[in-house]
Amino acid sequence: MFSENLMLDAIDYALSIGAQYVEVRSQKNSEFVTVSRNGVLIGTGESVIEGIGVRVIVDGALGFSATNKIDRENIMSAVKKAVGLAKASSRFMKKPIEFSPCKLARVQYSVVSKKAFENIDLSEKLELHSDLWKTAGQVIKEVKIPVLFVLYKESVEEKVVVNSDGAYVRSITPRISILYNVVASHPTKGTVQRTQQYGASGGYEWIGEWKLHETFKDEVEKLEEILVKAVEPPREPVDVIVGSELVGLIVHESCGHPSEADRILGREAAQAGKSFIKPGMIGEKIGNEYATVIDDPTIPGSYGFYLCDDEGVPARPRYLYLNGVIHEHLHNRWTASLYSTESNGSARATSYSSEPIIRMANTYFKPGDYSFEELLSEIREGVYIKSYMEWNIDDERWSQRYVGLEAYYVRNGELVNLIRNPVLEITTKSFYSRIKGADKELRFYAGTCGKGEPMQGIPVWFGGPNVLLSSIKLGVAPT
Amino acid sequence: MKHQILELSNKLVKEALKKGFQEAAVKIYTGRSVMLKIANSEISIVQHWNINSVGIYLTKNEKIIVIESEPSRIEDVVKILENTTLIADKIAKSEIYQPLPEPSKVEPLEDLVDRKIIELMDSPEAIAERILEVAHREKIDSIAGMIRLSYGGKSLVTSKDVELFEEKTSIDGYIRCFSDSGSGQWGLGLTHYDVGKIEETTLTAARLALESKNPYPAEPGVYDVILSPMVVGNLLDVIGYMSSGYAVLMGMSIFMKNKPGDKVASEILSIKDTPREPMLPGATAFDDEGVPTRDKNIIEGGKLVTLLHNTKTAAKMGARTTGNAGWISPHPWNLEIQCGDYSLEEMISEIDRGILVTNNWYTRMQNYVEGIFSTITRDALFEIESGRIKGALKKLRLSDKLPRMLNNVTAIGREQYYIMWWEVETPVKVPYILVKSVRTSKHLI
Repeated sequence: MFSENLMLDAIDYALSIGAQYVEVRSQKNSEFVTVSRNGVLIGTGESVIEGIGVRVIVDGALGFSATNKIDRENIMSAVKKAVGLAKASSRFMKKPIEFSPCKLARVQYSVVSKKAFENIDLSEKLELHSDLWKTAGQVIKEVKIPVLFVLYKESVEEKVVVNSDGAYVRSITPRISILYNVVASHPTKGTVQRTQQYGASGGYEWIGEWKLHETFKDEVEKLEEILVKAVEPPREPVDVIVGSELVGLIVHESCGHPSEADRILGREAAQAGKSFIKPGMIGEKIGNEYATVIDDPTIPGSYGFYLCDDEGVPARPRYLYLNGVIHEHLHNRWTASLYSTESNGSARATSYSSEPIIRMANTYFKPGDYSFEELLSEIREGVYIKSYMEWNIDDERWSQRYVGLEAYYVRNGELVNLIRNPVLEITTKSFYSRIKGADKELRFYAGTCGKGEPMQGIPVWFGGPNVLLSSIKLGVAPT
Repeated sequence: MKHQILELSNKLVKEALKKGFQEAAVKIYTGRSVMLKIANSEISIVQHWNINSVGIYLTKNEKIIVIESEPSRIEDVVKILENTTLIADKIAKSEIYQPLPEPSKVEPLEDLVDRKIIELMDSPEAIAERILEVAHREKIDSIAGMIRLSYGGKSLVTSKDVELFEEKTSIDGYIRCFSDSGSGQWGLGLTHYDVGKIEETTLTAARLALESKNPYPAEPGVYDVILSPMVVGNLLDVIGYMSSGYAVLMGMSIFMKNKPGDKVASEILSIKDTPREPMLPGATAFDDEGVPTRDKNIIEGGKLVTLLHNTKTAAKMGARTTGNAGWISPHPWNLEIQCGDYSLEEMISEIDRGILVTNNWYTRMQNYVEGIFSTITRDALFEIESGRIKGALKKLRLSDKLPRMLNNVTAIGREQYYIMWWEVETPVKVPYILVKSVRTSKHLI
């Protein structure tokens, strides 16, 4: 990493040439990946992305400049560029950009791996690929698996953030993830497909935690069953248990994203869009009393873990929806200023070359007090959607569609048979208003959330319990 | 720029061979970009990048290692090379290994650099000023968008004595305008600055915003659908990705069940990869293996002509490289749909019950092999009845199968548009397209 003195000099220089606020972040992202097809290695990859990003406010305008040419001359040149560009655009600002005052951190922290990547022999990591392929071959009977693609990735993110308001945050975060795509094919019944990602902060210990082989074996077995046995979903409105995997995605899409204050204020309007939540809607009803969604960066081991954001603001849990009411948004220091509140530490950047923007971390639906069996027993006729593949949501985060992969017809509290491609196409308010209960089991799932321009893919968890919805009319995917 | 990065590339190739690798290829990119983001009719941020990236491809006993880096010091790259030497001894042979190709004559592409773009990088706010002025000539409420100017050079040096260099500029961006309950969006991507096209992009977005005010709810069903170049670009991005031999090998393609010569689309549809189209920002004279690029049909007259290959996927699938490497995964450079002879008005006039989709986003697949997908409209969406636009609609999804839509193309526009935006990463040159009998859906509750 770079000289912290040089970073401080960059701040002084920016202030001396007209900046009112300066933030300098040095960041190094290192990755190692292995990729296989059908258990056989395709190749391995290494990646080191390292440089420095400078963000300034000059006369109410925001400028950002990044370089990986790290010497005093290039860094000062980046500072000059950021200041110059901001200054030139300041005359277009109707409402000058200001940051809210808040208590900033001076801290350093590291995520400690129980099993550091460097202590695990490469052969063990490579065996993950071949073992998963063997597992697939052992469990199938009537179908073929034409493709199993597996990507293993370990990474370390090292950051130092300093700014002219006094923040100093130094952090080291290792992360691990596995992604696979498996296709099952039947000579007369076509194909089904499952892509799945696991991810966490920490080290190789997560491979054991995930019980990868057991869950993968179950998934492949289930793909075969879906192909061979699944039937059309019911057409009449039924009660639906939305599995925790899908609940996690739904809260990410229909609560987390619309609660990003920059989005609410229109800053992402040309990219990911606006939000159905408008300024002044805090306190408005969005669902019933079960609808509580929390975003918490501080969950140990989570994929979206951090303790301070990239503006130097300490992280804390955010209660976005609370008991059916829009309660709190995700803020950085700019949006907090416009809302006359304090930032809740949501600004993150994926690399040195990215501006920090408002991001979710780990978003989840608050668990209830049912057991899964109790939720099932509430159903006379219904559906349980355990996993999904396709989904999307409109650019105001209101109308959304999720297509189930592993899904069951439920009668009198029993799982009766698999159904094929049930479609839950629902508005945000309908989802949060039709909740009859949630079970106690909180499960998290990993994802890479996209936002910003240039696109910043950032690691997040999303999760929840299994949630029971009343009287849902399901669709079916095209055949 | 050229001399420096070629020298460095050669040095790294030699370093790799010295460390025991049998083959090496080094690709260095050095460049600058400036991006203006606009929101609420003001500049939300100006971003500037001055970045070098170094990619290295290494093989040893048919094992493959790829390094991607944006290093702060070149010594760091040498250090990574040292680490990879240890890795190479432990990994297995690659399933797709092929020797790097011998050098071939590469015909350089002329006229990829526009000095005007380089000049404007020092004062990009002038473009923003123009866009804001043009947009607000119409009675819109606000404008958002992005404009990016880029200039850079890439070099490729391989242990097979390939030594290539190319410079390029580009301008890409998109504008979204809002007017009451209406919105419109349009994008562009070019290697050359064209103020007329920027104004046209802005005015198109503004006019679509005005025309789409007061939308009424749409009824989901089966419609004849006109896809604007923005939507065609998005779906073509997906199809372009699926046409990579790597996507087929990895089970991420509708072409998994096909071979060249198969009918995969309507006979009026031809899709081309056009690396030698100098106006599109993906233009390049050589691929990452040093193979000369060439324009080629992926689909011609509805038939699959070829997948996109590097030497590895080609060998694995019994084909020849198409000059689309990607060291591991081949990919399209630019995509083009051959124009037809329809005007937009003529297309509309042929539709009894249909919709005109001007923009979409969030295209996701239930099954890549079957092509089951949906995407949701955004911005102006129009209902067409008895050959004319009836009014603006609220959002709908296209929820169908890609193979069916490809086969149901019945008319193609005669004008092509240069499009890039957030949802169209591969630069495209595409017309309006009419697809018959498309399934649509929307929320049921």
